[in-house]
Amino acid sequence: MAAVTSVSPVAAGARWLARWWSRSWLFLLFFAAFFVAWEVLVDALEVPRYILPKPSTIVIKSSADLDRLVYYTWVTGTETVLGYAVAIVLAVPLGLAIAFSRFLRQTIYPFFVSIEMTPKIAFAPLFISWLGFGLLPKVIIVFLVCFFPIVLNAILAFGSLSEELTRFCRATGAGAWRSFVKVRLPAAMPQCFVGFKYAAINATVGATIAEFIGSDEGLGFYIQIVTGNMRPDLAFAGIFFLTVLGLAVFGLVTLAERLLIPWHISVRRAAS
Amino acid sequence: MTSIPAASAAIEIRAVRKLFGSGAEAVHAFGPSDLSIAPGEFISLLGPSGCGKSTLMLMIAGLLEITDGEILVDGDVVDAPRTDVGIMFQDSTLVPWRSVRGNVELQLELRGLDVAACRERIDDLLRSVHLDGFEDRALWELSGGMQQRAALCQAIVHEPGTLLLDEPLGKLDAMTRERIRTDLQDLWMRRRPTVVFVTHSIEEAIQLSTKICVITPRPGLIDHVIDIDLPWPRGLDARRGEGFVSHLARIQEIFHGYGVL
Repeated sequence: MAAVTSVSPVAAGARWLARWWSRSWLFLLFFAAFFVAWEVLVDALEVPRYILPKPSTIVIKSSADLDRLVYYTWVTGTETVLGYAVAIVLAVPLGLAIAFSRFLRQTIYPFFVSIEMTPKIAFAPLFISWLGFGLLPKVIIVFLVCFFPIVLNAILAFGSLSEELTRFCRATGAGAWRSFVKVRLPAAMPQCFVGFKYAAINATVGATIAEFIGSDEGLGFYIQIVTGNMRPDLAFAGIFFLTVLGLAVFGLVTLAERLLIPWHISVRRAAS
Repeated sequence: MTSIPAASAAIEIRAVRKLFGSGAEAVHAFGPSDLSIAPGEFISLLGPSGCGKSTLMLMIAGLLEITDGEILVDGDVVDAPRTDVGIMFQDSTLVPWRSVRGNVELQLELRGLDVAACRERIDDLLRSVHLDGFEDRALWELSGGMQQRAALCQAIVHEPGTLLLDEPLGKLDAMTRERIRTDLQDLWMRRRPTVVFVTHSIEEAIQLSTKICVITPRPGLIDHVIDIDLPWPRGLDARRGEGFVSHLARIQEIFHGYGVL
């Protein structure tokens, strides 16, 4: 351990880079091969540009439209992050309440399970007709898409403390609050993160489809408009920015997971 | 060990019976049985899997409702979880988000005790089970045997006068069991708590106990209470002695009679 402190930051950075490279080169190679194959096959099979453009064409043509793409990423990102954050803030305490209340478990829980079976996106036209083309209906759609997986996983998380740990807490005479802070809450975090991650994957889906249905800005809107103008190159650029947005949201949740539950097996596996 | 343990407790079990469920569906898990445990005794509850020995232990701890009869600890009827005992459950109560020391401290923190004031006590305890140097390790860095030692420290750090140990060595390999058994015997001889030790190993019970309660399979009944009058300490060589072997033969005979051996 003492040796680490004597190494310069540059050398430490180089070592980190080397480790990252040894882990990632295969994946990067596969990625590069995918785009090269795409480029070559479009030419070789003489696919018309209005059907499927080459990656190089997408990059060149869309760079002229970069300002709009960046701004629309910001718009869609705002809808996604707001809806997602509100879903977490409301769903976790509600999941906790349902896990501990027999009454709520018999009333609101079956209701939530039924709604989870409904495709939430089906509500999108209604919200847009009620609330117009602005930010709010999109935030609500993202919220609906994210809320149910988070609340259902939170109920599972808080309701499934092992019998042994429950008895352990009781045998110490600890009150409900102290047992919660010291045992129940940390024990529930891994299952909560299952919900957070699932919801993070679906959050951008909700925002995009809500924009398809009715909006005048955002990446979903952009993709729809440029496709109508026979510009699949720009549509692919929009899809690329959506992917970056999705990765950024998921990456942030994964980072939070690493910081909050570094002890959990899923995090330790991912790190090794 | 500088600290003085709380006074050992006497345990009285009177016509205790346990049913799970109710009506015609009820499962008769234990009893009715009586048992007196004197302060400072090391009692083993010995029986095959599913004979209700863990059930009895949980009832003594006040963690499981008694269907009929009553249990007294130091003259008090048990009707709520007893916070003055140390319990090692069948499955681990070590939590993965805390280090070895953190897990031991959890017992104190849940009780609202001052952890900083107990620092020396925790160090002594970890040293006594050979965990010094591993205090700050994460659980997954420890072997199964080390985890069980850590669990033992967690169970007794509040210095209870009574220990309830539910197959604490059950999942360990034979050599590790042997070593932790020795640690457990040392600990008992030094502090003399009242111990109720649940096990299905006949040899383990003979080596450690002052008395063995032989429990019948389904429903569990305390069928024999056998005094183990062998000299202390009982190491590996004690197990070759004549007394040890004759106890072993007798208890094997009893289980043979139940059809479980």
